[in-house]
Amino acid sequence: MNTRSVNRLLFLGLTALCLGFPLPTRAQTEGDFGHGIAEFRAGNYSSAVEFFTRAEAVSPGTTAALLYKGKSLVHLSDFPAAEQALQRYLISHPDSTDALYLLGFVLHRQNRPSESLSIYTRAAAITPPTGDDLKIVGLNYVLLDDYADAIQWLQKAVEIEPRNQDAWYYLGRTYYTKARLGEARKAFQTLLSLDPQDPRAENNLGLIYETDGQPAAAMEAYRKAIAWQEQNLHPSEQPYVNLGNLLMEQGQSNEALAPLEKAAALAPNNAFCHMILGIAYRQNGKLDKAQHELETATQLEPDNPTAHYQLGRLYKEQHALDRAQAEFEKTAELKTRLAGSQLTPPPKR
Amino acid sequence: MTPNRPLARALPRSRVFLLATVSSVFCFTASFAVPQERPVQTTAAPAPPEAFVDVTRTLGINFQYRASHTSRKYLLETMGPGVALLDYDNDGRLDIFLVNGAPLSDPTPKGTIPQKTGLEYWNRLYHQKSDGTFEDVTEKAGLQGTGYGMGVAVGDYDNDGFEDLYVTAYGGNKLYHNNGNGTFTDVTQIAGVGGGGWSTSAAWIDLDGDGFLDLVVLRYLAWDFDDVWCGEHKEGYRAYCHPDYFKPIAPLVYHNNKNGTFTEVAQKAGLSKPAKGLGLAIADYDRDGHIDFFVANDSMMEFLYHNKGDGTFEDVGLVSEVAVDIDGRTYAGMGVDFADYNNDGWPDLVVTDLANQRYALYQNNGDGSFSYVSPNAGLAQMTLAHSGWGVRFFDYDNDGWKDLLIAQGHDLDTIELNFPHLRYREPMLLARNTGHGFVDVSAESGTVFTQAWVARGMAIGDLDNDGRLDAVVTTNDGPVHVLHNQAQTTNHWLLLNLVGHSSNRDAIGAEVALVTQTGSQFATVSTASSYLSASDKRVHFGLGKENVALRIEIRWPSGIRQTLKDVRADQILRIDEPPSAGSAAKP
Repeated sequence: MNTRSVNRLLFLGLTALCLGFPLPTRAQTEGDFGHGIAEFRAGNYSSAVEFFTRAEAVSPGTTAALLYKGKSLVHLSDFPAAEQALQRYLISHPDSTDALYLLGFVLHRQNRPSESLSIYTRAAAITPPTGDDLKIVGLNYVLLDDYADAIQWLQKAVEIEPRNQDAWYYLGRTYYTKARLGEARKAFQTLLSLDPQDPRAENNLGLIYETDGQPAAAMEAYRKAIAWQEQNLHPSEQPYVNLGNLLMEQGQSNEALAPLEKAAALAPNNAFCHMILGIAYRQNGKLDKAQHELETATQLEPDNPTAHYQLGRLYKEQHALDRAQAEFEKTAELKTRLAGSQLTPPPKR
Repeated sequence: MTPNRPLARALPRSRVFLLATVSSVFCFTASFAVPQERPVQTTAAPAPPEAFVDVTRTLGINFQYRASHTSRKYLLETMGPGVALLDYDNDGRLDIFLVNGAPLSDPTPKGTIPQKTGLEYWNRLYHQKSDGTFEDVTEKAGLQGTGYGMGVAVGDYDNDGFEDLYVTAYGGNKLYHNNGNGTFTDVTQIAGVGGGGWSTSAAWIDLDGDGFLDLVVLRYLAWDFDDVWCGEHKEGYRAYCHPDYFKPIAPLVYHNNKNGTFTEVAQKAGLSKPAKGLGLAIADYDRDGHIDFFVANDSMMEFLYHNKGDGTFEDVGLVSEVAVDIDGRTYAGMGVDFADYNNDGWPDLVVTDLANQRYALYQNNGDGSFSYVSPNAGLAQMTLAHSGWGVRFFDYDNDGWKDLLIAQGHDLDTIELNFPHLRYREPMLLARNTGHGFVDVSAESGTVFTQAWVARGMAIGDLDNDGRLDAVVTTNDGPVHVLHNQAQTTNHWLLLNLVGHSSNRDAIGAEVALVTQTGSQFATVSTASSYLSASDKRVHFGLGKENVALRIEIRWPSGIRQTLKDVRADQILRIDEPPSAGSAAKP
């Protein structure tokens, strides 16, 4: 899952936290707990955590301090600490579906899909899940590489909440990953009917057009997605990468440079963006720039064999044969190591 | 780190646009007569309609490959088999040898070496009679076989003038010496070439240039009958395990001791690198006078073994840019062929793989490196949704450009459950070389291209000696198909049967350059390539409208060079290796 997806999940989780959970009672708003709630509402989550910690220390188990501490820590992306707080809260409030659903989300964010699913199962036995919950359930199955179940739960998510844009997006992505292009297309088109200028949906329609052998339509889709996200505070690098990639495939490597440069600027820590830009520079004969980008890619992801391979090819073109050989050797070593890392046999029947 | 797009993709590369220049420069500097009269004409004529027809039954061939599929989804079940086209009795007509499987119990205990238990599991030798039909001579020839067969290699290892057979299998291979009287003798033990493990494609090559064929035997995986569940844990979803779950294994390389015995030299020859080898093809890619070979590996880097000329080899796949695809990704290499498809005098490579990967076409740059040109040559889009195995460059319409025939079908019989747009059974693919790239002409080339098979092995040869190349295709747990080439064309052709004397008698590794008024072509004598299979060793050239080859230049494996001038088209010509260099002859 890419950074953007993760950020969206965090946002969704926080939205759920703010909107979906009951507010504390009057009795609970006094003292440290009350101050904590005030800070929480004001968005001062670090401070809120301190108040909730003190409240819990003073009156253990009498307030929802641990639950709110967990929520605050989720806002701070401190998922291990959030998990700890929620687990403690659940000792005294084992049937708190607020805590259970949040814990399921927290475990998902820690890439522990099986545990997350187990918690969601506990929660659902008490209170039916929302579309957002089912979306996370579906994404847990994605992490488990079980796309059939992922699709099943994401479909349920959109059945429960037909206007849940993110659920439609992830359903479309899941279909796309399994090359169920017709269903993916429908999901993204539904998302566009809910938000006619959703750049994610348009970008993914571009990928589908490309796979269908419609490069012109794909290019138009990427350009639309770029235009629609222009005003966003945090535009995605994806449509730029896809547009640049496609232009290169069409033999327009010179035209590919601008979108690929933009992608690398938007995602300076994304090794792929630097690598593909390096390839584009190489194709345009800008070997020094290509070298810079490809070296950046290998620095960002030193264990990525593809980046080393592309750098080796560049060095070879630059007649730096020793350096090329070193990169090819690194490629071979990494490929072998990665292949070896997958040697864990599947479970016996 | 690949963002947000799981389907296979590839990037173009600028180098392909420089190819013509690079290749021309090296053409002028190459030591051997590589075509300076490079053809510039392309084939504007449409593809001949209904070019191929399935004639299996009318030829009297009734063979069924028994894969013995089980509920345990042993990977072995889905990989075979191979086929060979050879003239075992030297009557001038190609015969067909087919490899068969063996029964598997369900489950099969770990450590089992499956054995054939009845007629239905026999390998089969079909002899071609003078009327063009075939008769089953398996029993008389003594070629029933024993184990769970995979592939076959053809070569006259003792230079006695009769083609011998090497049959690969799971758990041990067999060498059958051709006695010259219609029978074969199992000489595996005395020859010392039984091997072990899971052997796949094999090739006869004179690795050290001593005039005797050596033997390279690929092995697929370090594998056994373990009862492991791959795929989703649902009824009907159990699938064959991905090769990533198994360790690679070194090939077997047997040096011919010239006395009927062999010595295993993989380590000594620098060829012991663990691999997941499925396909093997030979050519002297850098034209340094020493035969090289390519190993198609499944889901790991492909190997290009460069012959250092001292009996040892080194893998130069990465530095030559054929180890991975253009994006630097490995793929499921299965079948391979090594031939000059663009008529620039340098052998190119095609490697088949699985759906969503695109078959890899590497154009030889003439400087020791290759360019991945699948997208530019039209092969990428054409093959994105297909899974290919047996593959050969061959000029089916005799227009002077080598086309591609590819046996297809996914390895997973469950593939459609998870990927509804992919198919387990697929029709064959015929890609016509227009001189500017490849075009899918399957749809107009016969109903055989509408029939979906689980195709695997494929051998190419001129079964009826009419100058039009035919094909034999095996299917997994299905029948064999003989595809007769009936392309309506007035184009001319030549079929050259090289006979070595200083060199190995099959002339495997000999290079042939043919020059006509229109241009030139280049080929290497080989029985290997494709997948698990062995093809007609005779070298075929389509001559287009030219009815004379101005020159045929041969570089024999011994180093002897021979030139033939003004060779009439439309004939099968035997060419004997002359006793010394510089010989010229007019047949």
